[in-house]
Amino acid sequence: MANNSTADFQPQITLLYCRQSLAAEVKPVQGNRAGDGFSVRLVLLPCSSKVQLPHLMRLLEQGSDGLQIAACPEKACQHLVGSNRAEKRIKRGRELLEQVGMGAERLGLDRGAGLRLDDLMEMAGQRAEAVRALGPNPMKGV
Amino acid sequence: MITAEWKPIEEMVGYLRGHKKVLVIGCATCVAECAAGGEREVETLAPLLAMAMQNDGNPIEVKSATLERQCEPEFLEAIAEAAAEADAIVSVACGIGMQLVAERYADTPLYPGVNTTSLSIREEPGLWTSRCAACGDCVLGFTFGLCPVARCAKSLQNGPCGGTRTNGMCEINEDTPCIWRLIVERATARGRLEDLTKVRPPKNWSNSPAGGPKRMLREDLRS
Repeated sequence: MANNSTADFQPQITLLYCRQSLAAEVKPVQGNRAGDGFSVRLVLLPCSSKVQLPHLMRLLEQGSDGLQIAACPEKACQHLVGSNRAEKRIKRGRELLEQVGMGAERLGLDRGAGLRLDDLMEMAGQRAEAVRALGPNPMKGV
Repeated sequence: MITAEWKPIEEMVGYLRGHKKVLVIGCATCVAECAAGGEREVETLAPLLAMAMQNDGNPIEVKSATLERQCEPEFLEAIAEAAAEADAIVSVACGIGMQLVAERYADTPLYPGVNTTSLSIREEPGLWTSRCAACGDCVLGFTFGLCPVARCAKSLQNGPCGGTRTNGMCEINEDTPCIWRLIVERATARGRLEDLTKVRPPKNWSNSPAGGPKRMLREDLRS
């Protein structure tokens, strides 16, 4: 469970991942997982392009410490331009988060193919590390 | 469509200090088309404002709604209850819609979330360019359907000026084509270049926004 004091801060990450980015034999997983010094909520998407700024901002407003998107490699998107659209939205979202004082690093996108649960956990861990420097989400518990 | 752009969030934060319950309202017509004030933008801005105010040390409760049209009185009734509960309204509609809301809910301070910028078309995804300046004396009939008022940096009525770049773009902005070059090209393509040499009556600028507030009256439509 997360703690709001910075010293014991265990970031709560929401990781939204494209189903197509998983290895073929990997069964999609959803729900909460505990990582090393962080926790993550895994959310399955049919395509990374399904992420929209309103959803991402609501997740942060509701207290998630960081959001990580896992998208397919640029040339491997099943919808051709889906991951590129997601990437542009994330860039815009990061700019907005910087403007409101939340810090751009609360939101990020990385690409990968043939991903396994360990890979997703590693991505979430990297986002947790980026978020750790920012401290807990000020909206937590509001 | 009427286009608008978000104001800097810092400016909105300045407006909202001292308020506790804020209603963010959008409009599902023009400003939705230009991705400034439709439902998607309202639902993005509302949590952003909550976060911005929290970080500013002035936490607020934010509610949101997107009206079908903010520039028609009938549609404003949909937010009557929410407006009564709010102690401030942020509107991301155009200046027309904002003023109607400010008039209907006169007891609640209204703040602009956008700057209304132009009458434009969506030229391509993510790019809007001016097409009309609401000048009140349309010259498109003389200029082959291309507006020199909205699309010439100098609103020249007889162009092009000497500032056209060698690649045909405007000297003011290298991404903007010289509209008079396009007018000449279209006239030439239609074999009517001579039409541009005809003397036209002076343009009636008194019917433009510079002529003061407009009041359009149609007795046949009045009750």
